[in-house]
Amino acid sequence: MSTVEEPSSEPLGVKEQKELDAEVGDHFGDNYGADPTRYILYRDRKEWADLEPVPQDDGPNPVVKIAYSDKFADVYDYFRALLKKDEKSERAFALTADAIDLNAANYTVWHYRRVLLQALSKDLREEMKYITNIIEEQPKNYQVWHHRRMVVEWLNDPSAELQFIADVLSQDAKNYHAWQHRQWVIQEYKLWDNELDFVENLLDEDVRNNSAWNQRHFVISHTTGFSDPAIVQREIQYCLNQIRKAPHNESAWNYLKGMLQDRGLSSQPGLLEKILELKETHCSPYLLAFLFDCYEDALESSFQKENLEQEHKETLKKALEICELLAQEKDTIRKEYWQFLGRSLKNKYGGDGPSNEETKPADTQEAS
Amino acid sequence: MAEEENQFEEFEQIDFLRDRHVRFFQRTLQVLPERYASLETTRLSILFFALSGLDVLDALEVVDSKVMIEWIYSQQVLPTQDKSNLNRGGFRGSAHIGIPYSTKGPGVLHPYDSGHVAMTYTGLCSLLILGDDLSRVNKEAVLAGLKVLQLEDGSFYAVPEGSENDIRFIYCAASICYMLDDWSGMDIQKAIDYIRGSLSYDNAFGQGAGRESHGGWTYCAIASLCLMGRLDEALSPRELNRIRRWCIMRQQSGFHGRPNKPVDTCYSFWVGATLELLDVFQFTHFEKNRSFILSTQDRLVGGFAKWPDSHPDPLHAYLGLCGLSLIGEPDLKKVHPALNITQRAFQHLQQLQQTWRDNAGSCVGQQ
Repeated sequence: MSTVEEPSSEPLGVKEQKELDAEVGDHFGDNYGADPTRYILYRDRKEWADLEPVPQDDGPNPVVKIAYSDKFADVYDYFRALLKKDEKSERAFALTADAIDLNAANYTVWHYRRVLLQALSKDLREEMKYITNIIEEQPKNYQVWHHRRMVVEWLNDPSAELQFIADVLSQDAKNYHAWQHRQWVIQEYKLWDNELDFVENLLDEDVRNNSAWNQRHFVISHTTGFSDPAIVQREIQYCLNQIRKAPHNESAWNYLKGMLQDRGLSSQPGLLEKILELKETHCSPYLLAFLFDCYEDALESSFQKENLEQEHKETLKKALEICELLAQEKDTIRKEYWQFLGRSLKNKYGGDGPSNEETKPADTQEAS
Repeated sequence: MAEEENQFEEFEQIDFLRDRHVRFFQRTLQVLPERYASLETTRLSILFFALSGLDVLDALEVVDSKVMIEWIYSQQVLPTQDKSNLNRGGFRGSAHIGIPYSTKGPGVLHPYDSGHVAMTYTGLCSLLILGDDLSRVNKEAVLAGLKVLQLEDGSFYAVPEGSENDIRFIYCAASICYMLDDWSGMDIQKAIDYIRGSLSYDNAFGQGAGRESHGGWTYCAIASLCLMGRLDEALSPRELNRIRRWCIMRQQSGFHGRPNKPVDTCYSFWVGATLELLDVFQFTHFEKNRSFILSTQDRLVGGFAKWPDSHPDPLHAYLGLCGLSLIGEPDLKKVHPALNITQRAFQHLQQLQQTWRDNAGSCVGQQ
């Protein structure tokens, strides 16, 4: 490909409209450099003249081809040239910023930039500023968060992280990348102290933020743990309070159940009564499902225990009533599922002993 | 004059715009505008969405298989003469690094050339869909390249240079080993440990330990365990029932990926297929699921979007079709829920694997 400049009368604007395949010999006019803010293609930059650009070779029959503009192809043709040489230079570092600007999802560019950050002993504080800006623009990109994590590790300095992540979450409180990064920072650098407060503030803003509930569980399980009955009581109370404010909130119910399910839902003193009270005024499919799970847990404990036969029968009856209520009225979208659960429960715990009925019935639903 | 029942069925048939979707995928296979630049390094996976989508639509005849197969093989990282790059093996997403086009070895040594685990997975699937016999896949290099990606904790990187590591790439690794019928590329027990460690308090899987449970990562967890043949070994009946509950609660009309998030077409597959693997998809509400998926159908350009009145993209177009296939939409081929290819392509794989076993057996017999 020729690197000799030739005068051209074509203005910049028209160039942008041209065919996607980079044409050999496209050049700017001889007023090169007159306007320092005007973008100059790499192939027209004197300081890059020593490098032979490397076009992307998709072969004779490319598939899922992306139609790149001249500007885009030019940057990446030079990126490929640098890669091939494994050049470690300031100009290479500067080019990676252009390449990222065009496609921040190109993981090879990010990797190469990290190689250069090390090889050239670049200022990592500056890099933190750079990556902060990029993440703010593209907060759902995997590569940018990974890059940030690498820089934080190299600096061994997480001091800006919690605030930064809080900023990102203030724009999207459920951004999975942000939460993941936050968990990593907290766990790696032991920054647990204020996290429960942070979570509570988020839940005050939006009690239905499932990510915040998850973070609550994360913080407590890694700090006080859930063994202390006082903690469990506190958390049960917290859940019930939030449920009173917003009854139709699966996150709160999942948290309550998740915390208690391995100890036996039916063995938590006084809980069943509280749930039955709530049922009258703050009912939801989640409350009823929780009740069902309590009854199922009780059935498991009282199964085939002689002095509990009557109680067992009554619990089974209540559980089956809940299934019917969910299937027919309160959670009809899952009608088939609740009926299936009812059948399974009856089969397992039915007073007449296990029947011959299949617990996994044949397809009960026709395809539409 | 059709009966009332037939008229209703006809209306439903008309609503699903098969030909538009075929054309959507055909266009995807040709040229995408520059605003799709962020897909450059994952083009092979986009190819997979289009090919598998056409397969589900039973429309693969519009594809020039030979041409596609050559392009896919040109993405394979070929071993150099001295095999010094074996542990960079696998398939690239595209030739963005600047390797010259080649489908035959020996490979060219390049300081930054390596496979990407998700591209190896979708590359192998794409070859199977096109009826290729995988004979040009360098299994030694693919498995060597895979092995170096697994961390101590059982999760995988995407590339040997390093990247984020999580459960998605365990799924890709398990699929690769499953297809090649060779599990030497990964430590299964460590992978299971990581998967179990990702099980959240609310009975589904996050991307790693402590993280929020999510429909996509739950699919990766369950599908991986199924491919490994370890579902019942890794998870107790009680745990499986709890996971079933979490998954089935994701249905709102279509499905969402996390509690209190909006529904999104792709979860009709991620969560739907998980429910199918757990034998309870039959208890979901087919009509509401179908109505939602079709509400995201683009009637003009074809394909599906994540939400109604949004732009369609290849991923949602493909997974929307898979979601419809799960509920038995007429004229759509059935999809293998763990491997995410049609049952037809899966049968082709099974035949291939039988041939490999037979050949291995006959070699032993000759000794």
